[in-house]
Amino acid sequence: MSETFRNRLLLLVALALAAVYLFPLYWMYITALKTGSEMFRTPPSFWPDEPQWAIFPFVFQLKGMAQFLWNSVVIASGSVALIACLGTGAAYVLARYRNVWVDVGLFLVLMLQVLPASLMITPIFVLFTLTGLLDFPRTAVVLAIAAKSMPFFIVLVRATFMSVPMELEEAALVDGNSRAGAFWSIVLPLARNGILVSAILIFMQAFGEFVYSKSLIQEIELQPSSVGLNAFMGPNTNEWNRIMAFASIYVTPILATFVLLQRRIVSGLTSGALK
Amino acid sequence: MKQIVFSGVNKYYGAFHALKDIDLAIDKGSFVALVGPSGCGKSTLLRSLAGLEKITGGDISIAGEVVTALPPRRRDVAMVFQSYALYPHMTVEENLTYSLKVHGVSKAERKRAAGEVAATTGLSGLLHRYPRELSGGQRQRVAMSRAIIRNPKAFLFDEPLSNLDAALRVHMRKEIRALHDRLGATSVYVTHDQIEAMTMADHVVVMRAGVIEQQGRPLDLYDKPANKFVAGFIGSPAMNFIPATVEEGGRVTVDLGAGPVELAVAVAAPVGARVLIGIRPEHLTLTAPGDGRLVAAVAFTESTGFTTFVSTATTPELMVVETGRRAVASGDRVGLAFDDASVHVFDAETEQRL
Amino acid sequence: MRRLYSSLVDGRGFDLCLIGVPLAFLIVLSGLPLVYNVVMSFQAVDMFSLGSFIRPWVGFQNYRELVAQPEFWPIMGHTATFLAASIAGQFLLGFALALFFWLDFPGASWLRGLFLVSWVMPGLVVGAVWNWLLSGDFGVFNFVLRELHVISGNVFWRSDPTFALWSVIIANIWLGTSFNMILLSVGLSSIPADLYEAAELDGAGALTRFWTITLPMMRSTIGALISLGLIFTLQQFDLFAAITSGGPNNASNVAQYWAWDLSFKQYDFAKGAAISVIMIAVVMLASVYYVRSTRHEVRG
Repeated sequence: MSETFRNRLLLLVALALAAVYLFPLYWMYITALKTGSEMFRTPPSFWPDEPQWAIFPFVFQLKGMAQFLWNSVVIASGSVALIACLGTGAAYVLARYRNVWVDVGLFLVLMLQVLPASLMITPIFVLFTLTGLLDFPRTAVVLAIAAKSMPFFIVLVRATFMSVPMELEEAALVDGNSRAGAFWSIVLPLARNGILVSAILIFMQAFGEFVYSKSLIQEIELQPSSVGLNAFMGPNTNEWNRIMAFASIYVTPILATFVLLQRRIVSGLTSGALK
Repeated sequence: MKQIVFSGVNKYYGAFHALKDIDLAIDKGSFVALVGPSGCGKSTLLRSLAGLEKITGGDISIAGEVVTALPPRRRDVAMVFQSYALYPHMTVEENLTYSLKVHGVSKAERKRAAGEVAATTGLSGLLHRYPRELSGGQRQRVAMSRAIIRNPKAFLFDEPLSNLDAALRVHMRKEIRALHDRLGATSVYVTHDQIEAMTMADHVVVMRAGVIEQQGRPLDLYDKPANKFVAGFIGSPAMNFIPATVEEGGRVTVDLGAGPVELAVAVAAPVGARVLIGIRPEHLTLTAPGDGRLVAAVAFTESTGFTTFVSTATTPELMVVETGRRAVASGDRVGLAFDDASVHVFDAETEQRL
Repeated sequence: MRRLYSSLVDGRGFDLCLIGVPLAFLIVLSGLPLVYNVVMSFQAVDMFSLGSFIRPWVGFQNYRELVAQPEFWPIMGHTATFLAASIAGQFLLGFALALFFWLDFPGASWLRGLFLVSWVMPGLVVGAVWNWLLSGDFGVFNFVLRELHVISGNVFWRSDPTFALWSVIIANIWLGTSFNMILLSVGLSSIPADLYEAAELDGAGALTRFWTITLPMMRSTIGALISLGLIFTLQQFDLFAAITSGGPNNASNVAQYWAWDLSFKQYDFAKGAAISVIMIAVVMLASVYYVRSTRHEVRG
């Protein structure tokens, strides 16, 4: 068996595996394009007879998705901005020193990462009610997501900072810069990629966040797409083509971003999660 | 005039005492090597001087100013790191002028300075490259140039040559020394390689376990090592040590198993005191078995072509260095001749020179 | 003032400032709520006393009542099943895929990365898609199983109490397999090739090499991954909300969903808090193990 034949065969198997694994995604897009009757046909059709492209603008209008998506973007951007501003510095300090206090800090950070959101929501709800933050529900969700996801960001970015040699920073100090200056002009630029990748991951998480938004935001016009999708799916719905259209519009930007930046995201994720 | 003064410097890492009461004064314009085995505190001492480590006690002053509490940027020293620490996201020119930029020097002035330094260090054609596009030797030059562009009060070197191959290392040794002389700078050079220290420095400081064991001019250290550690550390191959006992009238005899041999050295030590006799391998010569002072069997020989290293089958094993090729093989009986003036005597307990 | 500034710019103050602000933020928004939860689980709480700290202290009353509820043990059982089945499924499938992609052929790493889309998608969308795939009469999953002759009649995944939990488990396995695979791939590729060459020279066959080299070398990766799997699985909420809502009749209810349901649907905050405390204890044990598994890193 020649090398190229082996490679082609393996590639073929891999493509088949990927096709099977990603079939749910395919089914989401295909269902969206089907008519109401074709959708319930037995046996199911694996390619729509007449792709109903008009369903996307229709559902977009019908469900007011512009507002939902905008809210998701606002919440995700706010969370990422807050997390990146606060988390980067913490990750740097936790990466630079090795002592008992750092271990304690790291342990606390990891602990906070693992608390299920559905359990933390009650006290957070109370806290925001008491402080009046619940009158600004999107801000409240941003704060809650930031508290929930920052530990994950810190763990990932810490791994990036650990790969920046300490001597570079020391060289900058001897060259006449201050700690703050060296951090800004040497360490941050070198860790830029890792920070960016982690921020994208956080953005994706926050973009799909559900529990906090569902529990803290009552007004429909402030809810993100995840809550909108949940409300769309009543218990006995049969509008599956419209639901799938909603889902497609919701996730396509995330999927596109992921496929484009796949290599970087995967390497950023793997360097952090196991260290 | 003393350019750098350490007085009573102590450094603890937790319970570990890394620097113990270091007193060291360095003349302006001199080239000082800090040398010792790894973990002896030489790098810590250098980093304390740069301000990268905070010392626990004592004072450091540079050019008459006490800098103990100052951050690195207020100390006006330049440092060449073992890994070179070139900023990977900057070109060679940006690397060279980083310190000038931090100090607010204008762009035109920076460009001029970079061109000037690059011309003297042979980097002119490489100013717009990134560090990853350079060879090891070129990176080393960039690291050096980055230090000299500033005209600092002192140059600090932290094992700058240990990442280079042997040939380039010998070449760079001369180059660094020539640069030092041309700039009239004060340099502190950390190395674990005693040959680097001996060949480059005006003043060698030997350290062990956070303590300065001896300091002085290179050949003084070679000729009159203050203790057994320095004697064994300076010189290659290392000095031979033979245990012996002091007899009546301060006479010392050694016995390698073929009967006692008296040495013409007088030691001021009580009778019965145990001492160590030190003889450098290059001070021993091979003779016919009857002609030398000592007799030994050859254990094995190694030849580099020009020199031959002969190890003896005695207790303790002795090393002899001979120039040229010797027709001795393992098992041969040989005599060992030496001049009593080249013999060192150390106290076996304190390991101090007697 | 000058000293403060110089410490902020040059010394310890810089580090303390960088770590202090996020730490304070986390303490207020994660630490305090955690403490509040624990305290609340020992108090009598109703809608009106939700905002005050001083409430009647009832000791373990909430816990006792919780355990006495008829659904308590079934739900704990579901949680355990959900955890064990999800983690086992994700790990085994992930490991199998990782071993396959380890064969290293052109395009392997790109295709492998593509799998991760299941993990970056919003949980609610995954839930919606699987809800439709697992639909009883018209679901394509049933169709495929029928064509493969695994089943003869349609399985009503979401509404049949026997299968409701498994419908969420299937979706969760799909969601997490790719993450497991990616991390296991990293673990596999970090095993030095010369170990295998040495073992081959020593006469070890492929299977022996797997048992004696691959698995032992992957121990810390596997340990970290299982604990991460435990943590992620215990956090899984969106799939329940999107597929079964814990029904029918609690057949697919698990602790993390129940806690939310008690607090936000039935307004029984104290019991919700009591479940939280039980779960937090479990999660903490898992994270202690996770931290220990990843402790092998050494900084030069």
